[in-house]
Amino acid sequence: MWKHKGKGLTYENFLVKYKLITIFVILLFMFISFFLFYMQIVKGNKYAKISENQRIYNEYEYAPRGIIFSRDNVKLAENVYSYALLFYPSKYFNQQNINEYINNINNILNKKIDIHKISCKNNNYPIQIINKLTKKEICKIHKSKKFLNNTLLIKETNRIYNYPKIMSHIIGYISKTNKKDTFLNKNNIMDYIGRGGIEQFYNNYLMGINGSLQIEMDAVRRHMRVLRYRKPKPGNNIYSTIDYKLQNTAYNELKKSSSGKGAIIVLDTKNGAVRVLISYPGFNANKINTKQFIKYFKNKKLPFFNRAIHAHYPPGSIFKIVLMAAALNVLQTDPNEIIYCPGVLKIGNRKYSCCNKISHGNINMISAILKSCNIYFYKLGIKLGINNIEKYAKNFFLDQKTGIDLPNEKNGFIPTPKWKKKNTGTSWFIGDTAIFSIGQGALEVTPIQMACMALTIANKGIYYKPYVVNKITTYNGIEIYKHTNKYYKCVKLSKQNWETINYALIQTIEEGTGIKSKFRNIKIAGKTGTAQNASGKPHAWFISYAPADNPEIALVVLIENGGLGGINAVPIGKKIYEKYFEKR
Amino acid sequence: MLYNIKKRITFLFKSMDLWLILMLTILISIGIIAIYSSCIKYELQIKYVFMQFIACLLGILAMLLLANLNYQYYKQFDKFVYIVSILLLILVLVFGSYRRGTKGWFNFGPMSFQPVEIAKIMFILVMSSFLDKKANKINELSFLFYVFIIFICHLILIMMQPDFSSTLVYFPVTLLLLFTVGVKKFYLICILIFSTIAIGLPLLKTFLSMYLNFHQNSFFLYKIIFLSINYKIIIYILLLILLIIIWWILNKFKIKFSIIYPIILYIIILLGNISALIIEKSLKTYQKQRLIVFLNPRIDPKGSGYNIIQSKIAIGAGKFFGKGIKNGTQTQLGFIPEQHTDFIFTVIGEESGWIGSQLTLIFYFIFIFRCLVIAKESYDRYGSLIAIGLAAMFLFYVIINIGMVIGIMPVTGIPLLLLSYGGSSMFSSLCAIGILCSIHARRHVYFQYIKY
Repeated sequence: MWKHKGKGLTYENFLVKYKLITIFVILLFMFISFFLFYMQIVKGNKYAKISENQRIYNEYEYAPRGIIFSRDNVKLAENVYSYALLFYPSKYFNQQNINEYINNINNILNKKIDIHKISCKNNNYPIQIINKLTKKEICKIHKSKKFLNNTLLIKETNRIYNYPKIMSHIIGYISKTNKKDTFLNKNNIMDYIGRGGIEQFYNNYLMGINGSLQIEMDAVRRHMRVLRYRKPKPGNNIYSTIDYKLQNTAYNELKKSSSGKGAIIVLDTKNGAVRVLISYPGFNANKINTKQFIKYFKNKKLPFFNRAIHAHYPPGSIFKIVLMAAALNVLQTDPNEIIYCPGVLKIGNRKYSCCNKISHGNINMISAILKSCNIYFYKLGIKLGINNIEKYAKNFFLDQKTGIDLPNEKNGFIPTPKWKKKNTGTSWFIGDTAIFSIGQGALEVTPIQMACMALTIANKGIYYKPYVVNKITTYNGIEIYKHTNKYYKCVKLSKQNWETINYALIQTIEEGTGIKSKFRNIKIAGKTGTAQNASGKPHAWFISYAPADNPEIALVVLIENGGLGGINAVPIGKKIYEKYFEKR
Repeated sequence: MLYNIKKRITFLFKSMDLWLILMLTILISIGIIAIYSSCIKYELQIKYVFMQFIACLLGILAMLLLANLNYQYYKQFDKFVYIVSILLLILVLVFGSYRRGTKGWFNFGPMSFQPVEIAKIMFILVMSSFLDKKANKINELSFLFYVFIIFICHLILIMMQPDFSSTLVYFPVTLLLLFTVGVKKFYLICILIFSTIAIGLPLLKTFLSMYLNFHQNSFFLYKIIFLSINYKIIIYILLLILLIIIWWILNKFKIKFSIIYPIILYIIILLGNISALIIEKSLKTYQKQRLIVFLNPRIDPKGSGYNIIQSKIAIGAGKFFGKGIKNGTQTQLGFIPEQHTDFIFTVIGEESGWIGSQLTLIFYFIFIFRCLVIAKESYDRYGSLIAIGLAAMFLFYVIINIGMVIGIMPVTGIPLLLLSYGGSSMFSSLCAIGILCSIHARRHVYFQYIKY
């Protein structure tokens, strides 16, 4: 306490100012501590999250997808492991620094990495500098780790298809995930996903659980330590029913076919297992990148289109088997009953003709099948009526999906009077029935449906659901899925009628249109078809099964725009049978 | 002689301000722990902690010496003190060495010393002695002019180094001292307006140019700025007319005051503009940007705004209890530059959480409050003024530094006194505390007669 004489600041005045200053100091400190409270307690979690995100980097070690085996234990799809070097640019890197850094790596590894590819604009994501490192290079990197602070070695798995073109449609391919795809496991975001074929249908089985690698990095993105590591769990192995050898021959035969477009399906008649499923042309599943993708899409032969299960074709003459079964059961037609074939039949105002307008003379049902006489079946069809034909077509499941375990299967289409009224406004004519009865018109089927039809006829009315995957095991061999046969007795005919159909189909191969696939020792039953269509030359069909008295396999050959079935499709069928019966 | 020393020591310990010393020791130990924790490399840890410890010891010696010395001698030899401070600042311009673009360091082998730090305290001593002597003439213009001269000599010499951030402390200290002495509020307002224009205008210009780069399509804003730059003279004349009209209207309403006030205000504004031009040319772009970035760190998140964003994240991430000593990820992984000097508070905030940082803040508050109490209890007016000036200095450093670290003040490169690593600032703040102790020791009349 001081006293001051004279003018100027007195102690009383000073005390007033002292109080004001004290209040000011208290306010300032309260202000600061309010902000501290706000930042550390109110917003603390937010900042903590940001700071964690800054230092912790999550790298995924992709889990290898499961291996796909064929029936004869050939590896159709497997994985190759390689190491890649990731580079983490930080904000302290400018273009010149990066050049020095990359030159350093180049000197160590004796490689030539293009510097221009690497820019430091986007700091947030690591850049992959080198792919597929050799063992020596990995050793070198480990030795000179001091200089390579901002890099990280990660293990990568690459999917390899051993027979990329032959198996393309049945196996499918893999590509990076889109936003649309949904996942079971969070870790699998940014992973590869199967597209098409087994890869897509069994994606959840094939996909493993990705391993995760959590690393701590400092402000300059130098790799400090590994915080957590979880090993990847490989995907499950799939044992498919595909017969590699048979598929290979079938593919080579299709390659030589007349139009270079087509499909072949071979089913095991005992259980519906798919032995062969080919759509030609295939694509190279190992090299699916954007460039190749566009090239394939522009190709007029549509290599991505799986003709075996996605494509619709009119069945043509092979539909006559359905008609025959209907006639034998509903009308109790005597197969030996003779009908005259004039070559051209006039129904209403329009003329319907046999093949090349040549008269077959007097023929019975068997020879009508083996010579594929249209007029016989026009008359039979008109006699049966549209409802009966439709009913029998449905009995053969021609309007449904077969339920094969491949993605995006299409169902067939059976026209009805109701459908015609609804869509075109005109009523159903007898002529429509006539066209329908030889498998033309609006009737459309897929090759896999025809294969199932052949299988049903071979099994005398018992339909097996076709399947591709026999069993699935985990990577260490524990079985987690086994296929069980599903069958329906769908077409109910008497035994005698089945014998008649079987006999007619055998005769077709022995003497009729399918004579080109005749074998010396094994009896084959089959039917050819030549389906007229709007897109050009007729499609060549051949459906068959063998051996005729105790069927083992059912076969469908389709050559799109291939011409006559008997000339173009049947020889391919014969080659496949030759391969199948080779050992005997 | 021996008896003398014994007497001195007993006198010292009886008259010490225990609260001040307690806070001082707590803050210094917090600082050393934080410096130890902030360094990543082991060698640096040892080096920094050792250097800080040495500086502390030297500072404590100086503190004890100054506490013994009667502070009233400074008043008697105020001209000498001022000349010494000016000489120090000139010598450093001649013989000093460069560090980060500033020529502000004396090198003594491994140690180095920054004379600006000690010059600040000398300035406070000189300024308070001048104010005390001329306390009865405070409302004359000549008085303000002398104050300005004392003030500007230091300022110009420091600006020549150039050390922008060290000059900042002169403004609040001078203002607070003038306020305490009781200068007319009108003059204080004038000084405030002058300094805000002088510092504000160049900042505003750089901020606008950065802002316009950031939002390029605001044409309207751009046009206004364009007009105001090109027709400056018209604007000044308009301002003069406006001020006179206001004065005339106020006169009409019988609030009468001399016409000299608006004219002085106008001259102040003009002078402010002129000095703004000078400051704009002397400031470096990085310094301007640093000041600007606190307004919106997101203008330049990877460049100038980086420090603020990272230190905010670090402090926020400390949450309630903190991450523990040596566990602060932001500091340990090098996200915060200068974590042992200017940004030392981030280490405390991150590693000891809200509790630690709030406690540090409370310690600082008690410390500054004790300074004010010393001012209140001082034996004479001179002691009070010195204590107020030193308290203003400490307050400014603490508020600006912590405010900078939590992102509500600009990044100015000002250390946190007593905590930050840095020998000169530690030494000079301990000197200041020694002077405060001296004032406190002689607060009673009977101590006053013990003159040594």
